[in-house]
Amino acid sequence: MQPGAGESIYLRGVLPSGAPLEGKRQAAGLTTTGADAACVGCHQRSGLGTYEGYNFDVTIPPIAGPYLFHSREAHTQEAVLPYVPWMHSNRDPYTDATLARAIREGLDSQGRPLSALMPRFALSDADMDALIEYLKQLGSHPAPGVSERELHFATVITPDADPARRKAMLDVMDHYFADKNLFPIGNSLPLRTSGHGQQAKSMFMSHRLWRLHVWDLTGAASTWGAQLDAHMEREPVFALVSGLGGNNWAPVHQFCQRRQLPCLFPNVDAPLDNSHDFYPLYFSRGVLLEADLIARQIAYGAHAASAAPAASVLQVYRPGDGGEAAALALAAALKPLGIPVRNQPLAPASGAKGVREAVGQAQKSDVLVLWLRPADLADLGDAAAAPAVVYTSGVMGGLEQAPLPAAWRSRVRMTYPYELPEKRELRVKYALSWFSIRHIPVVDEPLQVNTYIACGLLAETLSHMADNLVQPFMIEMLQTSAERRLINTGYYPHLVLALNQHFASKGGYIVHFARPEGAQLVADSDWIVP
Amino acid sequence: MLRLLGVAAPLIGLAAVGAAFSQESSEQSAPPRASHSFMSSAQYTVPDVRLVRDDGKAVALPEEMNDGRPVVLNFIYTTCSTICPLMSQTLAQFDHELGADRGRVHLMSISIDPEEDTVARLHAYAQKFHAGPEWQHYTGTAQASLTAQRAFNVWRGDKMGHSSVTFVRAAPGTPWLRIEGFVTPGELLQQYHHLLEQSGATVATR
Ligand code: HEC
Repeated sequence: MQPGAGESIYLRGVLPSGAPLEGKRQAAGLTTTGADAACVGCHQRSGLGTYEGYNFDVTIPPIAGPYLFHSREAHTQEAVLPYVPWMHSNRDPYTDATLARAIREGLDSQGRPLSALMPRFALSDADMDALIEYLKQLGSHPAPGVSERELHFATVITPDADPARRKAMLDVMDHYFADKNLFPIGNSLPLRTSGHGQQAKSMFMSHRLWRLHVWDLTGAASTWGAQLDAHMEREPVFALVSGLGGNNWAPVHQFCQRRQLPCLFPNVDAPLDNSHDFYPLYFSRGVLLEADLIARQIAYGAHAASAAPAASVLQVYRPGDGGEAAALALAAALKPLGIPVRNQPLAPASGAKGVREAVGQAQKSDVLVLWLRPADLADLGDAAAAPAVVYTSGVMGGLEQAPLPAAWRSRVRMTYPYELPEKRELRVKYALSWFSIRHIPVVDEPLQVNTYIACGLLAETLSHMADNLVQPFMIEMLQTSAERRLINTGYYPHLVLALNQHFASKGGYIVHFARPEGAQLVADSDWIVP
Repeated sequence: MLRLLGVAAPLIGLAAVGAAFSQESSEQSAPPRASHSFMSSAQYTVPDVRLVRDDGKAVALPEEMNDGRPVVLNFIYTTCSTICPLMSQTLAQFDHELGADRGRVHLMSISIDPEEDTVARLHAYAQKFHAGPEWQHYTGTAQASLTAQRAFNVWRGDKMGHSSVTFVRAAPGTPWLRIEGFVTPGELLQQYHHLLEQSGATVATR
């Protein structure tokens, strides 16, 4: 048997021969092929299935090995199967032969036809063996970081992260974890009640103490992957939660994907946008989203009274900072429109003079785009020669606290991929009062509120997962349930994910300052989803 | 098969969204039942919302829907890998089997996840199912999509409430046929012709 053959069929819909998997639906006369036919599309990466429709109109049952082969006799000594509401349990356990028949002919272990949504797959014996082998091991590996009494998580901080922000984030997390362990939601009483069969036995929701490990990375980014592996060996964890990045989060993202570790909502400006990666989830695309917002404004001429696209663009950023990725993304988005883009990276340690020189390269007719942090924004100097249209990144520049010199405030438009201050009051209220009761100083409100929301999503998801401590299932549950959080969404107007989605907030505003002083903003646009 | 719905378990919160949305309006049973689907006849008021078509054009839903052609409508989203590909494939095959009649029908697919489904993504999705000029996909603001979903009584609290529903209407002003569940292309074709006959609209108007 070819190694990985079963996985390739299950995850990608590619047979060992290289040919696409093919599934048929006889009654409808339809054929589904390749990635569309892959089992993962319905039964999910965890193998635990999913549902569709508010009344479970469609249930896609778990097909991870234990669920297929588990005996339904109540008195067996087999390990208890964690309960999944959409599992099929009113049938005999499968054998290899009846399982192959289910996959080929769509008949369950007792010969009853499966629903039309489940395609019928004409697989060769060798391919079938490989697939069944894959199903058998699915869900049979114990997850790291889980013991009978404890559940371990880590939060990662890159060395270039600001120490004050690090402390502000950890303040929130430490309190959250302490609270969690003080007032557990589920208790450790197994919900055995009076049911029969495996589902009654499996309705435990054991309460485990949450443990937080702080993984501070050091040195060059090229060594972070190995450092993370070493941390993982010493202190195995179930997932990464929140976290704080500086210029570069890619090595952490890649570590999560490589180790199949959920990586939940870190505080990073420039996440890696790779839709093929399963394990990292983010609040938003950060500066990459801002680049798309600016590209859209420029393309539609929304920046000018004339509604014509801009003639040319000049971007200023610090090489190696998140703004560089954003500048690349904006240039790529404008290229097909034929709008020339000039990049003006700042020389390292160039100070105020360097910032002014770089900005001074802009022609009056340019659209100037500033991918700068507060310290550089404060150094912009006078605006006499500045172009009429200037965009600045709210994420990098500090939102309404951006220390822009007075002359710049009147002309700068800021991308604002959050809910507007007056509209988000209700959304952050709960977090802020939670901080105040616990005497947590608010040093960086967006950072701390988002950290709090990340912890909240973790708690909620774990309670949905019950005893199914399966890592891909955690991602799937977050994806299918985040949307149900209606008010307590922190800095975001709504958080919406779905299976196969990794960024929960997808839009932003364009704003400008209302007055020469103060933090009051005026929105130039509705919520835009570029 | 037993679905274990009533069992009290930590996961039960997932099912709780439903109850509040289960009232159907004026629907009664109509034409013959198909194998995996349930049909009813209903009147819906097409809401006056603006949507964005997969060619990038901003349009008004009533105008799109009421141009005189028979309409076949469903609600999908592009990252949905469970029921949506089958729903879209069914529409594609129905369209194909219409043959020369294809030019007379208007197929409409409205995204229930409009913020994710940008025009570009929606267009790519439409192409994947070989949508011809008679088949348009629509996105827009979250609010506009929600209004459309509510008007057709398919909104169930969130995307996970999404289910397979297909709507067919012979002409503006006539009732909609609401088909719940997985209708086959052949069944859809039969229902479509049946509906057109009933409304006397089979004689081509152009
Ligand atoms: C388009 C969605 C879809 C795809 C793709 C799909 N399935 Fe299924 N599968 C289902 C549904 C829905 C059911 C439940 C049918 C029912 O309720 O009668 C099911 C049931 C099953 C069952 C029976 C489980 C039980 O508890 O009785 C097995 C086994 C199974 N699928 C295996 C596979 C394998 C292996 C693949 C990939 C080669 C696959 N499925 C691809 C939708 C799908």
